[in-house]
Amino acid sequence: MAPGTFLRGFVALVAILLSASSVAAAETPKRGGVLRVGNLGEPPALDAHWTTASITETLTNHVYEGLYSLDASNRPTPMLAESHTVSKDGLTYTFKLRQGIKFHNGKEMTSEDVVPSLARWGKQSIYGKALFAQVADWRAVDTYTVEMKLKEKSAIVLISLAVPNNFGAIYPKEIAEKFPPEVKATEWVGTGPFKLAEWKPDQYIRMVRFDEYRSRNEQPNGYGGGKTAWLDEIRWIPVPEVATRVAQVETGELEFADDLNLDAYERLKKNPNARTIISKPYYWLVAVFNKKEGLMTNAKLRQAWQAAIDIEPIMKNVAGGHAEFYRMDSSLAPVEIAAWHTKLAGLPWNEHNREKARRLMKEAGYKSEPIRFMTTQEYKWMYDFALLTKQQLEDVGFTIDLQVVDWATLVKRRNNPKEYDAFTTGIGAAYDPTHHVYLTASWPGWTTDEDIGRLQAGLARETDPKKRMALWEMQTRQFYEKVPVIRYGDLFGLRAMRTSMKGFNEKTERIRFYNVWLDK
Amino acid sequence: MTAYLIRRILALVPVLAVVVSVTFLLIHLIPGDPVSVMLGPDATPAQIQAARHALGLDRPLPEQLLKFYARVLRGDLGRSYFLDRPVTQALLERAEPTLVLTLSALLVAIVIGVPSGIVAAAQPGSLWDRTLMLAALLGVCVPGFWLSLNFIYLFAVRLGWLPAAGYASIFVDPVAALRYMVLPAVSLGFSQSALIARISRSCMLEALQQDYIRTARAKGLSHATVTWVHAFRNALVPVVTVIGITMAILIGGAVVTEIVFNIPGLGRLIISAVLRRDYPVVQGVILATATAYVLINLGVDMLYVFIDPRIRYE
Repeated sequence: MAPGTFLRGFVALVAILLSASSVAAAETPKRGGVLRVGNLGEPPALDAHWTTASITETLTNHVYEGLYSLDASNRPTPMLAESHTVSKDGLTYTFKLRQGIKFHNGKEMTSEDVVPSLARWGKQSIYGKALFAQVADWRAVDTYTVEMKLKEKSAIVLISLAVPNNFGAIYPKEIAEKFPPEVKATEWVGTGPFKLAEWKPDQYIRMVRFDEYRSRNEQPNGYGGGKTAWLDEIRWIPVPEVATRVAQVETGELEFADDLNLDAYERLKKNPNARTIISKPYYWLVAVFNKKEGLMTNAKLRQAWQAAIDIEPIMKNVAGGHAEFYRMDSSLAPVEIAAWHTKLAGLPWNEHNREKARRLMKEAGYKSEPIRFMTTQEYKWMYDFALLTKQQLEDVGFTIDLQVVDWATLVKRRNNPKEYDAFTTGIGAAYDPTHHVYLTASWPGWTTDEDIGRLQAGLARETDPKKRMALWEMQTRQFYEKVPVIRYGDLFGLRAMRTSMKGFNEKTERIRFYNVWLDK
Repeated sequence: MTAYLIRRILALVPVLAVVVSVTFLLIHLIPGDPVSVMLGPDATPAQIQAARHALGLDRPLPEQLLKFYARVLRGDLGRSYFLDRPVTQALLERAEPTLVLTLSALLVAIVIGVPSGIVAAAQPGSLWDRTLMLAALLGVCVPGFWLSLNFIYLFAVRLGWLPAAGYASIFVDPVAALRYMVLPAVSLGFSQSALIARISRSCMLEALQQDYIRTARAKGLSHATVTWVHAFRNALVPVVTVIGITMAILIGGAVVTEIVFNIPGLGRLIISAVLRRDYPVVQGVILATATAYVLINLGVDMLYVFIDPRIRYE
């Protein structure tokens, strides 16, 4: 062997070893650092029981925990609960709590805290109310055991305790009892891996690592499993202007930014220090009908709307022409909620059948009366799909009075049946069939159809998964026949992070920063 | 003079009373509701009703207005629904960023605007004049957010010289504060300088055509003395008025600049308060802005006395 060959071989070996060790170093999480996250705005509250606002959901899930959480396939997985048992008749749920769990104020979490917390949640949260409507008795058995007695068999106990939105966070007894359910709590003490350190509205919210946090022993799994706070601090910075959020990820002033405009996608992809993330599920676009008063109480007219629209060009336009950012799907649960995703053939979805639409309009006795369709420019995608819908519907003979208002006006007016015929919004991930709000009589638009109501009630009672799926498929068929709302396609969101950020779970609907660490 | 000052200050009261009432009615009459925004997209009407009751929003409007007057007279502007703090506290927290931005943008506007106006007026119709006035025209026409976003792209993203957005207090970290303030102050100051430049030019032109300027020149005074001592001082009154108006506009919230550069000032506060229908905050910011507006006008009127000894207030 020539000396040169040996030398080259030696250098190559050293290089391989070095690169291997640097890979290993990159894989080992580091403790410390401040993660700066660009937020859309201010949360209306940091009381998880009080509001369904998604920004509150994201923030509070770092500070509080519930008895259950969701795993990677969006099924319930224990968090503060150790285990549970169900009596033979299915009416009594007994939950064992984990022991030695500390609140941020140093106090141990026990059944004394769990009972009033969930009682408060049961009076205010939409998920809590649905569950507690079925609860006959809710009490502590001993320090680490709580018991829930039901009026009738229920399918939604665990999933309701596990949903991350408007969730059953456990607060210390003192706080749960101090703030009545309809008044937002303004003291924030939880058991989560981060504790709230400072909230300066419009400037930042600082969360710091809770050193006494006791993680579960399982591997991280979806929102659940083991959680480690590697970061010293998460600093949530409201940056309402989206172009500024993009620029600040590019310059490194932010490590992470959510809800970016799709037109920034190409620019961010070219930046070697940034990584783009397509967030799924995000929303399916929806036009919600007023079924209490006015023109759209006529099911034939709703069916005509459904028959007329050609969804793909609308979705393509809303997604800025990027095929990666939309998906054509008729299932009411998105693909990511695997347990409830349906694959039914022959549904009257995306028919773009103008003849059928005209026939239905005639049968409905529609005489070109203006249909008031409310939307907002505050969410560009809503305005875009409303505008394209208007064009398509007017091509078949509808008269659409597009009313563009700000979001606050829209959410106010949609509660008044005299003020509109249809409005735009987005439907986020619902983790259980009973959580699809547009199928209920209490949510704006008021779906009071008896068949839909009966199936929803059946879904709440039936506990056998196979039978539930059969009911859910029947409900999906009912949905496309009764058309309480129009399901368009799935739209995806855009997020971006610095490449120095590691360990981020890109698969969850909402962002979580436990198990995340900084490599710099 | 003192009597005049007292009269002017007393005149504040009816002005502010009108502002308070009109604001209150406008914000309550536009549709929308703070509770629907706060409770989130999936809240039910029953939940919304309960929370409206908890905030007293279900009371009749005249009752709410009277309660509001009573509180304002005691110096209490109420409590923000959204921010969980008294409105006065929220206002004080936002005043510093807005004042710093206003003063630095004003400085930029004056430093660019006044000299360009004077230089342009010195040789009307020259290449200098036309170039400067074209730049001023651009400054007026270019939308503020477009200029701001391009500044961010060029100086923060491409060149990396300055941070893209954010704010640091000058009392805490002066160096960081300066770095954060350069881009917003220049982009805001540039567009405001345009008006100042045009007014300075036309006033200077007018002054330079007066008989006393001819006399001064005939006496053999230097060009600089004629321009600066004789013409400029006489041209100053309208310029000061425009600077005063500019300052009042800036105090009222350089809304776009504050949003693009993420400066937590009054402009951002009022925009987010309007979108959230945070009524007490909207009323508080408008009241504070109106007061500042009136006081700045008063200040400008007082300045005239020093600039032009012929002006007297009785």
